[in-house]
Amino acid sequence: MIGPRSWIFQVVVRFAFFIINVFALYLLLRGHNQPGGGFIAGLASAAALILLSLAIGIEALHRLIRVDPVRMAAGGLLLALLSGAGPMLGGAAFLTQFNWHLHDLPLLGELHVGTPLVFDFGVYLVVIGICAKIIFVLVESTEGLPGLVVEEERRYSSPLEEPIEERPAAGKEMGRDAD
Amino acid sequence: MNAAVLPFLLPLFTGTLTLFLGKPGTARRAFLVASALVQLGVAAWLIAENLAGRPHVLLAGGWASAVGITLVADLLAAIMVALSSLTALAAVLFTCFESRPRLEHPLRLPLVQFMVAGINLAFLTGDLFNLFVAFEIMLIASYALLTLEADDWDIKQAYPYLAINLVGSTLFICAAGLAYGLFGTLNFAGIITRAADMSGDPRILVLALLLLVVFGTKAGLFPLYYWLPNSYPILPAALAGLYSGMLTKVGVYVLLRMFATVLPHDLSGVHQLIAWLAGLTMVLAVMGALSRNFIRGILSFHILSQIGFMALAIGLFTPLSIAACIFYVIHHIIVKASLFLVGGVATVLNRTDDLDRMGHLWRGTPWVGIVFLCQGLSLAGIPPLSGFWGKYLIIVEGLRAGEYILIGASLVASLLTLLSMLKIWLAAFWSEPEGVAVRVDDWRWRPLLGVVGGLTVLSLGIGFGAEAVMQVALRAAQAALDQPGYVELVLGAGGKGGG
Repeated sequence: MIGPRSWIFQVVVRFAFFIINVFALYLLLRGHNQPGGGFIAGLASAAALILLSLAIGIEALHRLIRVDPVRMAAGGLLLALLSGAGPMLGGAAFLTQFNWHLHDLPLLGELHVGTPLVFDFGVYLVVIGICAKIIFVLVESTEGLPGLVVEEERRYSSPLEEPIEERPAAGKEMGRDAD
Repeated sequence: MNAAVLPFLLPLFTGTLTLFLGKPGTARRAFLVASALVQLGVAAWLIAENLAGRPHVLLAGGWASAVGITLVADLLAAIMVALSSLTALAAVLFTCFESRPRLEHPLRLPLVQFMVAGINLAFLTGDLFNLFVAFEIMLIASYALLTLEADDWDIKQAYPYLAINLVGSTLFICAAGLAYGLFGTLNFAGIITRAADMSGDPRILVLALLLLVVFGTKAGLFPLYYWLPNSYPILPAALAGLYSGMLTKVGVYVLLRMFATVLPHDLSGVHQLIAWLAGLTMVLAVMGALSRNFIRGILSFHILSQIGFMALAIGLFTPLSIAACIFYVIHHIIVKASLFLVGGVATVLNRTDDLDRMGHLWRGTPWVGIVFLCQGLSLAGIPPLSGFWGKYLIIVEGLRAGEYILIGASLVASLLTLLSMLKIWLAAFWSEPEGVAVRVDDWRWRPLLGVVGGLTVLSLGIGFGAEAVMQVALRAAQAALDQPGYVELVLGAGGKGGG
C-alpha cells in the first residue's frame, strides 16, 4: 500500500475530508456572484477524495462510495444540460436563468436561489467524477490493481480488448512497502 | 430561436443518456440510430428555413451578442451540420452492421455523439472563444476515439495527432487573446464592425496569419499535415469515414468562415499565401498517396490532397470560387466517407486492406466494385460525377484569375489521384492472385454495402443535380461573404445587456 499509513495521518484525513467538503460546498454556493462555483468546488472535493484514498486505501474507498465516477460525471452533465435546456420548453432561450429572492425563511432568513445553481451543481458532479476516475485509475495502476473494477469493466471495455495492466500474480507484490 | 442550438444539444444528450443505458444491445443501438435520424431531420429543416430566408440566431441566455454567446445557423452552417449528421448516421449504422452488439466497444458510439456535438458547435458558433471550446470538445472526443480500440503500435501512431493538435490549440488560444486585445470582443459580428475601422492595420495581418496557421493545422495544409496520414489509418472503418469526412473539413469550414465572414476582405496577400500552400498540399499529398500500399493509407493522403482543392478555392477568393469551395466540401465529405467505408467492406471481404494480399473482389462481389468505381472516379473528377463540377468551377475561376501554375498543379494532382484510385482498383478488385479468398459467406458485407450504397446514391445525385446544389452553394457563399448582412442578423436578434 502506498502512502504513510500512520495513525496520525489517518485520523487527520478523516476530519479534513469533511472540512474540505464543507469548504467545497461553500465555494459552490457563493459562486454565482463571487469567486467560486461548480468547477473549483469539484476540484476541492476531488482533492478530499484523493486524500481519503491515500489514508484508507483505494479498495476501501471503492467499497465506501460505491458510485461509478463515470456515471457521476454523466449525471452531472445531464443535470447541467437540463438546467440549460429546461427554459427552452417555456419558449425562453437556451441557458436562460431564473432567480428568486426568498424572504423570511425559517432559520435561513433571506435566500437568493436560481437555476444557475443547478448548472453549477452539475459542473461540480462532472469535475468530481472525472477527477476521481483519473486518480483512481492512476493509483490503481501504481498499486498493481486492475484499472477498472469488475462492474466497470463490463460497462466500459470491449470484450476484444486486453487489459492494459496485467493483474499481478498472487504473491508477486509481497514484501513491498513493509512499513 | 432555439433551433440553432439543437444540432449541439441533441448529440450531447444522446451521448450522455447512452452512458446510462449500459452494455451495447439492440435497444441502445435503436436509440442511437433514431437520434441520428432526428439530428439529420433537424439539420435538413435548418437548411429549408435558410432557403426560405429565415436564418436562425440564438442568443444564449437571452444576452446580447456584445456580452453573451451567439449561435448563428446561416445557410453555410446548416449545410455543414447536415453533412456531419449524415456522416454520423453512416458511422452509427456501419458500427451496428459491422459487429454483433456483444463485440461492440461500449464507449464508441457515445464518444461519436460527443464528437459530433463539438463539430456542430464549431459550425454554429458566432464567437471565437466559443469556437475554441467547440474545438476542444471535438478534439478530446477524437483523441479518445482514436485510441479506444488501438493496440500499442496504433497508440504510437496516434501520438503525433495528439501532440500537434495540442500545439494547435495553444496557438488558437493565443490568437483568441490577440483578437480580444485588438477588437475588445470575440463575437464575430463585433469583430466585423471593429475591423472595418482598422483597415490596413498590420496587427490584423498578424492575426490572420496566426489563424491561418491554427486552422491550416486542423485542416491539414502543407507544411502542417504531417500528423494526419499516419494517424487516420489506425481507425476502424466506421470511424475513419467520420474522421476523414468531418474533422479536417471543420478546419476548412473555419478558414472559410474566418476569411469570408469575419476578417476584412482586403487581405489579398494572405489569400495568395493560402492558394500557394494549397497548390503544394495537393501535389505533395497525392504523391504520398501513391507511395502507400494499403487502402486506408492511400485514402488518408487523399484527404490532404483534396483539402488543397478547397483551400485553393478559398485562396482565389471570388464569390464564385467560395461557392465552388462549398460545393466541393459537400461533394468531398460524402465521397470521402463512403470511400473509407467501402474500404471497410473490402476489408471484411478480404480480411485485410493490404493491397498485396487482396483480390478477386470484382468477380466475387461486383456491386462493391461498382460503388468503389463511382466514388473513386468522382474523387478524381471524371464527369458527370460530383467531383468534376467542383474542380471545374475552381479551375475556371483560377484561369480567370490568371493562376496558371496552380491550375496546372491541380490538374496534375487530379491525374495522380486517378492513378492511385486505379492502384486500389487493380490490386483489390481486378487482380486474381492465388491464395486470396473472398469471404462472401460473411453475413456482414451486404448491410454494410447498403450503408455505402445510400451515400453513393446521394453523391450520384449531387453529380447529376449539380445545378441545384450549385445554386444552394452560391446562396451559402453570398450569405457567408455578406459581412453587413451577418452583423445585421446578429445585432438584430436584440437581447439584454448590449450597450
